[in-house]
Amino acid sequence: MFGFIRPFKPELRVREVERFQAVYCGLCHELKRKYGRLQTYFLSYDMAFFSLVIDAVCEPDFGTQRCRCDASPFRKKNVCCSSPSLSYAADVSVLLTYHKVNDSIQDERGIKRLAARFLRWFLQHDYQKASQAHPQLNQTMCDCLSELHAIEQAQTASLDRPADTFARLLAAAVPASYPSNIKRVLSQMFYHVGRWIYLLDACTDLEEDFKSNSYNPIRLRFSLQTPSLSSVRTTLEHTLERSLLDIHTACQLLTLYRDQGLIENIIDLGLPIITRQVLDGTYHANGGHETHGSL
Amino acid sequence: MDPYKVLGVTPQTSDDDVKRAYRELARKYHPDNYVNNPLADLAEARMKEINEAYDMIMNARNASKSGSGASQSQQNYQNRQSGTGIYAQIRNAITSGNLAMAEELLMRSPTRDAEWYFLMGTVYFRKGWYDEAQRCYTQACSMEPNNFEYRNALNNLNMGANYGGYRPMNSANACDCCAQLLCFNCLLNCCCGGGC
Repeated sequence: MFGFIRPFKPELRVREVERFQAVYCGLCHELKRKYGRLQTYFLSYDMAFFSLVIDAVCEPDFGTQRCRCDASPFRKKNVCCSSPSLSYAADVSVLLTYHKVNDSIQDERGIKRLAARFLRWFLQHDYQKASQAHPQLNQTMCDCLSELHAIEQAQTASLDRPADTFARLLAAAVPASYPSNIKRVLSQMFYHVGRWIYLLDACTDLEEDFKSNSYNPIRLRFSLQTPSLSSVRTTLEHTLERSLLDIHTACQLLTLYRDQGLIENIIDLGLPIITRQVLDGTYHANGGHETHGSL
Repeated sequence: MDPYKVLGVTPQTSDDDVKRAYRELARKYHPDNYVNNPLADLAEARMKEINEAYDMIMNARNASKSGSGASQSQQNYQNRQSGTGIYAQIRNAITSGNLAMAEELLMRSPTRDAEWYFLMGTVYFRKGWYDEAQRCYTQACSMEPNNFEYRNALNNLNMGANYGGYRPMNSANACDCCAQLLCFNCLLNCCCGGGC
């Protein structure tokens, strides 16, 4: 489900590329420190963006350090030092990973479901730790996902209804401790990030869902007979563009203490490019989810 | 409040550059960019701050120049005509931001006429449910093709990203983007003689 959000590298400055890498690595190290190695395999770019944003609205800068890791055992890399926002993002990542595996158990059949069950057993402990740290967030996540499940079961022919549940889930992930004005803006921003991710995910899954005959909001909303987006492209583009605009306008209202160029690059260039690739069907040809982990 | 900090300029910045910085910010936070946006009040507050900062700087520098752009944000964007009974109530609920009540009232309303679809679309618009909003507005327009308010709402929804500042889909192509930047740069060089 995760990994759509990434910067558009050709337009980045060298220090911004390094900065994004450092945040990504910082989050990875934080996950390893708090939860162990297994969780680091589920780290996504989306979470790196999340921690980048929630960190940028906080004034104190915790700096970077140089260290080695599994992926780069010889050469030391710049890594963000542990900070409250990284630690929080790590917790959110653990919660999302667990819920995603849970989701696979509900949706998949056969060997995949078995594998997911097996995996869940390993993730259980981390999940409990993270949910005890953020009981309210975890409750909201559970509620949103069970709502989503009900909507899927009812074969609801709407884009916004299922997307709303996932959008609210992500909006709820904004740290509760932030000042209310910042929280409002971030919630609105991540609401639309969530809506965008959900709809884009539905686009990429269209073909697979046709094959397995499982729920797909786009197929039902437009009563598609074939797994092709070409006939509904304009409508989808419009609705996704509106969400991107809302992310952009919300971001404009934030006071960012650092990484403004990087965040604006992701929102104004990265997200539209991924949107276009997905709608054109060139997303997988451009690497798709496989480029995950390396910028 | 430090007006220079708000506009991102210094006391040494020339009047023209202060004006340019002000215009840039005013364009960014203009109420038109936040129509039906739940964060409209924050944008308005920011706009007010920018206007005040600009006025303070310009007043201090030259009293005669002040206020040239300050009145822009004072427009009222709630041009709702009041309908009859229940719809007026729903419009009030929408205007005051109570979307849950507006939706509840709409669901209870027995009729499904053009205005119903229009108001439902507006509730969806406010919630960020843009596909549902589009469907409702389209329905309202097809039921009453001559209604200016409905058509305007549909256009507003469709043209949302069209205020000039942010065109994500158009600049999405890497080559296009570079070409645009290049053209823009050439233009800048032509206009300003490469000086800026």
